[in-house]
Amino acid sequence: MIVLTSIKHGILTIPFLEISSGSTVIIGPNGSGKTTLLQIIAGIISPQSGSVAIDGKSPASVNTGWLNEYPDRNLLFGTVSDEIASPLRFRQDHCPEVQERVNSIAHDSGISHLLGRRTRDLSGGEKVLVSLATAMVTRPLVLVLDESDSHLDQESTRTLTRLIRDSNASYLVWCTQDMETATGADQVILLEGGSVTRCGTPHEVFAELSGDCLYPLSWRLSCGSHP
Amino acid sequence: MALILESVSYTRGQFRLTANGIFEEGVHLVSGIVGSGKSTLAFIASGMVLPGEGSVTRTGIMNSLLSMQFPEYHTTGITVNDEIRSWGLDPGTVLASSRLSGRGDDDVTVLSRGELKRLHLGCVLSGDADLLILDEPFSALDCREKRVICRKISEQDHGTVIICTHEQTWLPPVDFIWEMKGGTLVSCGRVPEAILRWGLAPRHIRDLIERGLVPGNISPEAVMEAA
Repeated sequence: MIVLTSIKHGILTIPFLEISSGSTVIIGPNGSGKTTLLQIIAGIISPQSGSVAIDGKSPASVNTGWLNEYPDRNLLFGTVSDEIASPLRFRQDHCPEVQERVNSIAHDSGISHLLGRRTRDLSGGEKVLVSLATAMVTRPLVLVLDESDSHLDQESTRTLTRLIRDSNASYLVWCTQDMETATGADQVILLEGGSVTRCGTPHEVFAELSGDCLYPLSWRLSCGSHP
Repeated sequence: MALILESVSYTRGQFRLTANGIFEEGVHLVSGIVGSGKSTLAFIASGMVLPGEGSVTRTGIMNSLLSMQFPEYHTTGITVNDEIRSWGLDPGTVLASSRLSGRGDDDVTVLSRGELKRLHLGCVLSGDADLLILDEPFSALDCREKRVICRKISEQDHGTVIICTHEQTWLPPVDFIWEMKGGTLVSCGRVPEAILRWGLAPRHIRDLIERGLVPGNISPEAVMEAA
């Protein structure tokens, strides 16, 4: 369980929030604090007050994969192969194992054809797919993705969703502006103005949003009301 | 008024783009999977990249503007007000239209990515370009902002607008649909007939077509009306 208690940081004010294992999607308007919340969960920033515990441990002590919403901010190295290998090399894994793991995750991600490419020449969507593979290469316990789908097509989003669901991560926490994607999560959290205003299963959360554009269009089409 | 791509080809490493087509006055949607060449096409159409072969001709187009998919690539100002002034625009007007009133003195880098995208599009759509090329204009925006951008695109009273996007739900009414297939630009034709030839149509539109219902256009309102 991820437990956030008495969190105050910038716009965020969260008295108490529990995130169960599985897939949790955070939705909300621009500037509502989604990225800040994700950064706190990932251990990238410490809250000004309050605490976060992941299975009882500090986020900084947990193996976490992180994907920044700015695709270029994820990329450090010149080639795709070196980029994906970097977390393994930083922890000094043996070269043959590194190469085997890089090839394996590139294959599973459908990006084997990109391994020899220069990262600066990648398209926006390709940068996201490479960064996701890099975030997952160490088999993290927690995977935190900030709008990873905003530069992806339908097929790539399906590949991404399958990949992260098949990963060993116990916790997948991500934010998206695609409500169709959000319907597939185990838990949805709605952030508005820095506060959690809805939390529950997709049906529970969206049931209260039927008059809002956040309501998934596919659900609206099946019940026939206008957005 | 038209943008004419004649026997255009462009090669970068293993990737090759080819394009033949006339972008008439109106709103054009270009869809394609990740890495299919949409952004490269946008750069060629804008004149920022010259094709290796073929010609790009403009008739009746006096000025053009390319909005790149990453808003951070456009940023030159230190504060939000500086950024707006760098476009030759009045900060008060753009701040209000971008729903960022009161943020003028903020450092541009403290904006969330969605807010930065709003600011950028607020500047782009305040202009009067005859040819407006929008690469992923909806990424990072919440549904309310996507609706606003759709409305602003629809309100463009002249010229050619080319939208390259993966967005599946919040799309404006368009006049023409194109696809990038393996680096080749393919015309699906004029809407609504083009919708039937649109291989990358969103799932909710394909579901409607399978039920024998062809929407008059691709906007959520048109889709709901068909349903």
